[in-house]
Amino acid sequence: MELSQFVQSVMNGLAIGSVYAIFALGYTLVFSILGIINFAHGAVFTLGAYFTYTLVVGQFENNGLLKGIDLFGGNSPFAGNPWMFALATLLAAALAGGVAVLIERLAFRPMRARGADPLLALVSSLGVALVVVNLIQLLVGAEIYNFPQNAYGETPPALSFQIGGKTVIIRTVQIIIFLVSLVMLGLLGYVIGRTKIGKALRAVAENPGTASLLGISVDRFILITFFLSGFLGGLAGTLVGTGFGISGPYFGVAYGLKGLAVIVLGGLGSIPGAVLGGLVIGLAEAFVPADYSAYKDVVAFALLFIILLVRPQGLLGKAVIQKV
Amino acid sequence: MNDFLSTYGFLMVTMVQAGLLGLSLYFPFQAGQLSLASPGFYALGGYTAAIMLTNPAFGALRDSLGNGMFVLTWVVAAVLAGLLGLIVGVPALRLRGIYLALATIAFVEILRVVSLNLTITGGAVGIFGVPQPFGFADRWQYILLFGPLLVLALLFTRQLERSRVGRAFRAIREDELAADAMGVNPTHYKVTAFVIGAVLAGVVGAMSAPLLSSWNARQGTFDASIAILAFVLIGGNRSMWGPVVGGALLTAVPELLRGLADWRLVINGLVLVVASLYLPRGIVGALQKLGKARPPQRPTALPEVKG
Repeated sequence: MELSQFVQSVMNGLAIGSVYAIFALGYTLVFSILGIINFAHGAVFTLGAYFTYTLVVGQFENNGLLKGIDLFGGNSPFAGNPWMFALATLLAAALAGGVAVLIERLAFRPMRARGADPLLALVSSLGVALVVVNLIQLLVGAEIYNFPQNAYGETPPALSFQIGGKTVIIRTVQIIIFLVSLVMLGLLGYVIGRTKIGKALRAVAENPGTASLLGISVDRFILITFFLSGFLGGLAGTLVGTGFGISGPYFGVAYGLKGLAVIVLGGLGSIPGAVLGGLVIGLAEAFVPADYSAYKDVVAFALLFIILLVRPQGLLGKAVIQKV
Repeated sequence: MNDFLSTYGFLMVTMVQAGLLGLSLYFPFQAGQLSLASPGFYALGGYTAAIMLTNPAFGALRDSLGNGMFVLTWVVAAVLAGLLGLIVGVPALRLRGIYLALATIAFVEILRVVSLNLTITGGAVGIFGVPQPFGFADRWQYILLFGPLLVLALLFTRQLERSRVGRAFRAIREDELAADAMGVNPTHYKVTAFVIGAVLAGVVGAMSAPLLSSWNARQGTFDASIAILAFVLIGGNRSMWGPVVGGALLTAVPELLRGLADWRLVINGLVLVVASLYLPRGIVGALQKLGKARPPQRPTALPEVKG
């Protein structure tokens, strides 16, 4: 492989891998607190992208119940300026976080209250995902939506530089995705590692019973966890939507599955693991030769399968000694 | 009668088919294993039948066997699904709980993408024009295939549950370490349960390819895994009737809601949420509990309390 091609693949891999990482962090946060996988996380990802689109564009032209409604009369305050676009993204992510909190209240808390089989939480979160995805379809139709070119104002479409006489092209949006993900990871690391909220979260993750004896409101911290999880999921959805378009209501399903591969690869419940897993899978996909690009989607699952057989606790996970 | 069959015949067939697929996940469940692999084996069985029934390479065999060819596809699908079940099951069943579930999801996804890209499976387009067996002219006639298969599968399951093997399954489900200590080899029985489920799903797939008269990668997806898991959990995972009832009902619900057109998938999702919240033992489990909950006979020896 030529150097220029190598650099290009690394850049592509880092951009998409960092999105996988922040998306997967949402999964892993919930898993570390509740020990269950929230299968509606992919739907929250999708919602994030649609929320941002709604704020920035204000209308869905093609189809669905919202057809013909224009929020801002064709003149969204969030369009055409990178800072307002960023604000719209944050608002959308916060809304997605709110939806995740709602999902917790409706689908997970009643389960916990009666000590139900964790498998049932899996089914009920899947039910929620089905509801969300199909509501989106009813509201805005199944069409593909792309963010308009000038959504975040005038930005250079790409950076390009020469390596060994060959051109390497990096899209601006790839750099933005990577930087935003990096900032989010840093912030999250700070919140979890250094703040009081983070300390309490870790205590709840370690042992909810003891944590509640110590005066930590477990239910409240579970809600905070779901909010953070939904925020990260929604943000990831917006980043992918901005970069590559929103491919319809089922947009998040593939990411939902890949996110599972990411967190298992890194180690279920491990935060650094989710980051490492995301980058590994993003890079591995970027290095699939063009001739085999049809098999790109297999990479994540092949890695998932292999890691489960070789090292089930994942790259950074702790080995769990469990009584059956 | 003919009107009824032409309207609801296909729905009845798919209800029985769903019950069978539910049952195929029920076997690993019996041994305490959460597998989501059934759609993979179902897809494999369907591709096996579709290829054997349409590919020119099998033309001579088809001509000489006639309708026997359909029976042969069931056998070949069963063998292939069983073999693949063994190959995947032996390493995968060292995993437990959610890890096994994720490994089987990965298995289904890998099979899906591979079948999407192979020439023999027709790539993204799939395989078309799968012929109908035994001169079937209407799709309701498939009840003549799926019905007996369901009866056979249920009889087999009942015998299995009463046998030594069935007791070993339950022992592993309740406490794997204890079962191991009592001389029950968990790996052996877990793989057995997994392979039985794989074979059943494979045969159902082989019968379904002619039913749909085409086969493609959309038949074995993550969505299908979840649908089948929902059959088992909503129906009840502690009795063989659970997956059958769950499969039949959850297949019927969206069809009966057809009048609500666009809303039916939303309602389907709500049904899943509500059922998992309020029927933790599944429908069959709840019915059994009702049956047992009759007020106990008042012990006669107890003296009457006088006010």
